[in-house]
Amino acid sequence: MPEPESELSSREVEHVARLARLGITPEEVVRYRDQLRHILTAIDALKRADTSKVPATAHPLEERNIMREDERQASLPAEAALRNAPSREDAYFKVKAIQE
Amino acid sequence: MSLFQKTIRELHQMLVDREISSLELTESVLDQIAAVGEKTKAYLVVTRELALRQAKAADERLRARRDVRPLTGIPIALKDVLCVRDVVSTAGSKILKGFSPPYSATVVERLEAEGAVFLGKTNCDEFAMGSSNENSGYWPVHNPWALDRVPGGSSGGSAAAVASGEAIGALGSDTGGSIRQPAALTGIVGFKPTYGRVSRYGLIAFASSLDQIGPMTKDVADSAILLQAVAGHDPRDSTSSPRPVPDYLSTLRNGVKGMRLGVPKEYFVAGMEPAVEQAVRDAIRLLEQQGASIEEVSLPHSDVALPAYYIIAPAEASSNLARYDGVRYGYQAEGAKNLIEQYMLTRQQGFGPEVKRRIVLGTYALSSGYYDAYYLQAQKVRTLIIDDFKRAFERVDALLGATSPTVAFTLGAKTQDPVAMYLNDIITIPANLGNVCGISVPCGLADGLPIGLQVIAPGFREEIALQVAYAFEAAADFRKLQSPLMRAAA
Repeated sequence: MPEPESELSSREVEHVARLARLGITPEEVVRYRDQLRHILTAIDALKRADTSKVPATAHPLEERNIMREDERQASLPAEAALRNAPSREDAYFKVKAIQE
Repeated sequence: MSLFQKTIRELHQMLVDREISSLELTESVLDQIAAVGEKTKAYLVVTRELALRQAKAADERLRARRDVRPLTGIPIALKDVLCVRDVVSTAGSKILKGFSPPYSATVVERLEAEGAVFLGKTNCDEFAMGSSNENSGYWPVHNPWALDRVPGGSSGGSAAAVASGEAIGALGSDTGGSIRQPAALTGIVGFKPTYGRVSRYGLIAFASSLDQIGPMTKDVADSAILLQAVAGHDPRDSTSSPRPVPDYLSTLRNGVKGMRLGVPKEYFVAGMEPAVEQAVRDAIRLLEQQGASIEEVSLPHSDVALPAYYIIAPAEASSNLARYDGVRYGYQAEGAKNLIEQYMLTRQQGFGPEVKRRIVLGTYALSSGYYDAYYLQAQKVRTLIIDDFKRAFERVDALLGATSPTVAFTLGAKTQDPVAMYLNDIITIPANLGNVCGISVPCGLADGLPIGLQVIAPGFREEIALQVAYAFEAAADFRKLQSPLMRAAA
């Protein structure tokens, strides 16, 4: 298992926030960096567990691949789906330009 | 005694006997909300009109003796993570301010079918992330036992509502202890069923492999009744189990004589308050006196449950919360130049600090280069925790321990130290990771603040957890304890 860098850097916090599409102020970068360092130190105990022969558990389900019948069902009416939209035009969600 | 002080079971009998109407009962609870709501701040929204309408409909049903169910006419509070059609549902977050769901959660529909009365949406930590309710995007909740104390979290509003008489029962959700810990800190019963026992359809997601909805009530029998109403397979949630739901009330009073109960030595953690340990050890002795055999067991990976949880839950949350983009619903930031900037500003302004912290932590744990060391390792540790429980349950029928290592702490005491805050969940988290069920039942007071005993039973053996908790409750008689806010109005 590769050793992760335990000292999280400000650049990494900025990078991760960008990946998560989360705006973050320079003060928050520093605050989250310090808090996450503290949290990651506490989490480092994870490495103590010997998991060399252990499979991962992604979910606790006993069932596998439950399928419903392939039948048409009513779906949410468009108006109901759109009614909470902050910006809309006709039957569409309205967004900013993706490219300038 | 006021109506709002009574249990579901007592009130059901009075409703059936036409001694009271649901309208009188609902008004009694709404009056209590009016009287103490400003003190507890338990509700984000009180649905007074809806409640009165539902109460009248329940009275019709009771009068006609048509399909009268155990919850017909009973006023219930719903944690704000549960979608109720046309009722603002925000998960305690500013990013969902004003969101009016176009559909209801399955548990909400099932309670509606029972003829329950909805009092409103209870406050919670934002997206159920927290154990003090101080992470609510709106306001903190105050503990009805001592208003300067937290009620626990994240289902702190539901807990405070039940403990103050502002609801007869409530639903909460539990991802790492969010039903059991606030139940312990407010002196009520809270039950996290096994993952898959209750449909999550319409539950605003936090960590989808851990989240589970469950009852919060004044006593164990009421939790059995409320769980009975909401449990069972739902075609709209493919992770809900098709296993049949047993009749929980039929085994409730079977007692613990001849049962083997295990005490995990790891659950008496460092930092546990002496009064909590004493109350839990007394509770174990009482169950022994009731005929259970007690043995010490070991869950050797308990010490890595908390670290594994604080990788898995934030990782799943960072993925689940990607949907809050300010496009389809909820808050949308103004002034952005393009779409990416709009996402970033919307999420920056809409999410609170703890949610942001967990999004960053979760995204980090999932990001290239760290995935194996953190996320995959945490998932493997989860397997070890599941195996710990399996081995323990080969020897014993149920496990006993504290719910929370401390009683309710003072508001603000831990808000600056996320790691100290995370330690609140140290003995509740294993049940979520291990796919078992756990109930918290009051087992005493320390300086006037409630302590909870946790009973953990194997996956899909909710009846065992209820049976043990009921036997304890009946023998100990802490059920009569009421918070000062509940007592004051008597």
